[in-house]
Amino acid sequence: MKQLVLAVSLLLLVVAPLAAQEATTITWLNCCNWPSEEVIAEFEAENPDINVEVETVGFNALFEQIQVRLGGGASDPDVLSVDVPVTAGYGLRGWLLPLDDVFSDEDRADWLPAALAAGTYNGELISAPVSTSTQLLFINSDMFEAAGIEVPGVDDRLTYEQVADIAEQLTQDTDGDGVTDQWGFSWEQTVRIYQLQPLAVGLGGQSIGDDGLTVDGVINSQAWIDGFTFYSNMFNESMVAPQDDTIGTSDLFWSGKMGMMIAGPWNINRYLREAENIEFNWTIARHPYFEDGEVTTPTGSWHIGVNINSDSPDEARRFVQWISTGAGAEAWWRRGSGDFPAQQSVLALFQSDEEFDEGVKYFLRVAADEATVNPDPRAVSPGYLEYEQILQDAFQDIRTGADVEESLNLAVARIESEMAKYRG
Amino acid sequence: MTGRERFMPYVFLLPALALIVIFNLFPTIATLIESLHGNSLVRGGRVFVGLGNFNRVLNDPIFWKSMQVTGLFSVLVNPIQVVLALGLALLANSRVRGITVFRSIYLLPVAVSINVTTVVWGLMLNSEGGLINGMLSLVGIERQPFLIAPTHALWSIIVLATWKGVPLWTLFFLAGLQGIPQTVLEAARIDGAGRWQCFRFVTLPLLRGVLLFVLVADTVANFLLFAPVLLLTKGGPQLSTNLVMYETYRRGFVYGDLGVSSAMLSLMLLLVFAVIGVQFTLLRRRT
Repeated sequence: MKQLVLAVSLLLLVVAPLAAQEATTITWLNCCNWPSEEVIAEFEAENPDINVEVETVGFNALFEQIQVRLGGGASDPDVLSVDVPVTAGYGLRGWLLPLDDVFSDEDRADWLPAALAAGTYNGELISAPVSTSTQLLFINSDMFEAAGIEVPGVDDRLTYEQVADIAEQLTQDTDGDGVTDQWGFSWEQTVRIYQLQPLAVGLGGQSIGDDGLTVDGVINSQAWIDGFTFYSNMFNESMVAPQDDTIGTSDLFWSGKMGMMIAGPWNINRYLREAENIEFNWTIARHPYFEDGEVTTPTGSWHIGVNINSDSPDEARRFVQWISTGAGAEAWWRRGSGDFPAQQSVLALFQSDEEFDEGVKYFLRVAADEATVNPDPRAVSPGYLEYEQILQDAFQDIRTGADVEESLNLAVARIESEMAKYRG
Repeated sequence: MTGRERFMPYVFLLPALALIVIFNLFPTIATLIESLHGNSLVRGGRVFVGLGNFNRVLNDPIFWKSMQVTGLFSVLVNPIQVVLALGLALLANSRVRGITVFRSIYLLPVAVSINVTTVVWGLMLNSEGGLINGMLSLVGIERQPFLIAPTHALWSIIVLATWKGVPLWTLFFLAGLQGIPQTVLEAARIDGAGRWQCFRFVTLPLLRGVLLFVLVADTVANFLLFAPVLLLTKGGPQLSTNLVMYETYRRGFVYGDLGVSSAMLSLMLLLVFAVIGVQFTLLRRRT
C-alpha cells in the first residue's frame, strides 16, 4: 500500500508541472493601473490554455517602454496597449503584427468607423480598437450654490468665456494666507494635446498640416495663439487654475477644492467607486466652446496590438480578438478601464440598459451622446510621439507664464526638426 | 621572479578589468557603433548611416541649446561644489569636541539616493505650498517660482546637486587634509606664517592630487547629472534645464531615435575627455 501511495505521489509530482506547462503565458503591457484582474480571470476561464500576465505602467512610461523594448526587437510584451495616434508611427517602424485575419467582417462592422480607420496603417489593421472617449465639464454644485451661481443642466453647454467668469467667482483664498484654497477650474490632463486641442480647433485651427508632418503655420497660427492665450490667462492672469501638479486636477475636484474641471467620463466610474468618501453634490455639463467658435470635442482612446516579435503570436492574437470584440469588450468596459467602448453594440448599451436611466449613471448616457458631437481626432502622423511630447513642454511653459507665441514658435522649431527624418 | 609570480598581479587585476570591460568599455563601444546606425523609416530595420547622425546632431539648434545649458551649469556648479567641499573639509578637520558628530551630519546626504533627494527637494521648492516658499512668506519675501521660471530652475537644480554632491567631495578633501603631516604645518607657523599663508602655501599645494581627482570626478558627475532634470523639470521651463544628458535620453527613449541619441552621447564623451585633459594639463603645469 505504501508503495502504491509513493508511486501515485511521484506520478503526481511529474504530471502536475507538465499539466501546468500546457498553458502558454503571454504578457500584456498596459497603462495607467486599470483594474484588470477580473477581466483577465474571465478570459483565462474561457481560454484555459492561455495565461495573461499584465504589466502596468504610467502613461508616459508606457511610450518609453514600447520604444525601448519593441525598438530593441524584444519578444515581450506579446500584447501592448496602443494610444491610437501612435499607430502610424509604430506601423512605420514595423513593430506591430497585422491583425486582418483575426477579425470577422461582423467584428469590423461593429467598431466605430473612425476607430477602425485609426487602427489601420497602409491598408492593414495593426491596432484593434478597444475604447474611445469624450470629455465633459464636471461641476461642484454645492460650490456654485454657495457663490450664488445657477447650476447648469446636464445638457447645457457653457462657453469658455462663461467658464472663465464663473471660475473667477469660485477661486478663493479662504484663510487669507496668500495661498489659494479653492480653485475655480482646470483641465484634468493639464498639458496634453488630447484635452487641449479643442481650444485651437474650436477657433478654426488644425492639429497638424495635411501631410501629417508640417506644423509651421499650423500650431503657431492665430487660432492656436488665441486658444492658448485663453489657456495661459486661466493659469497666469485670472489665476483660477493651479500652475503645478502637486495635487492633480481630478484629486482637487473630488476633494471638493475645485469648482469645475474638464475631464473624462471615467471620473463617473471613480465617483461610483469612492462615493462614500465624497460629500458634496456635483453634476456635469457638455464640453465648453468659444462664443465665436465651433463646438468640438476630444476623441480617440486606446487600441491594442501584438508585438511583431512575440514568441506566442497566436495566443496573443486570440487575446486581442477577445478583448476588442463582443463579451470581452463589454467585460473590459464594465470591469476594466471603464473607458467608452469602441464597439457600437457595447456603446448601444448606454441607451438600452435601464441602469443608465437615472442618477449618476445617467451622466454616462449623456457622455455617450457627447462622444458623437463633432469629435475631433488627434493628429495622424508618423512623428506623433515627438509632436505630443514637444507640445507638452510648450503647454507646460505657457501654463507657468511663458509667452504664448514664443512657446508655440519654439515648439514649431523643435517639431519641424524632429519631423525632418520622416520626410526622407 | 618565476613565470607564475610575474603572472599573478594580472590575475588579481582580472576581476576589476572584467568589470571595466563589461560596464564601461562594452557600452562605450556599443554606443559608438549605434551612433553610426539609424532606423530606416522607408525599408524598416537598422541601417548603417555613417556620420549622418553626427551631421544631424551638429546641425540641430536644440542640441546646441542644451550644450549651452550644460556649459553654463558646469561653469557654475563645479567651482561652487569644489569650494564648498574644501571649506567644509577644513571645518570638519578642526580639532574640537564632538567633531565626529558634525562629520556624520555633513555626510548624511551621501547616504540618501538621488531620486529621494530630488523628490524631497521638489516638494520643498514647490511654488504653491513648498516649505521654502512658506518660510520666505513668513519673513515677508514673495513666493518664488523655483522650478517653473526659466530664471530660477537651473539654480534650483544647482542647489539640489550641490546638497547631494558636496559631502562626498568633502570626504575626499578631509582624507587629504588628514594626510598632511602636522610637522610641516608647525614648521610653517614657527616660520611666522599666518592661517591664510599656511593654507595657501602649505595645505593647498599638498592637496593638489586630491584637488585634481575631485575636480575631474565632480566635472564628470555633473556632466552626467540626469535624475533631477527628469523628475523635476523635464528640461523646462523653456529648455532652461535641458542638460545634454536629458536631451540624449529624450531622443533615445522618448522619440526612439537611438542613433541620434548615441551620437549625442559620443560627442558628450569627447567633450568630457577634452575638459578633463585641460584640467590635468593646467594642474600638472602648476606642479
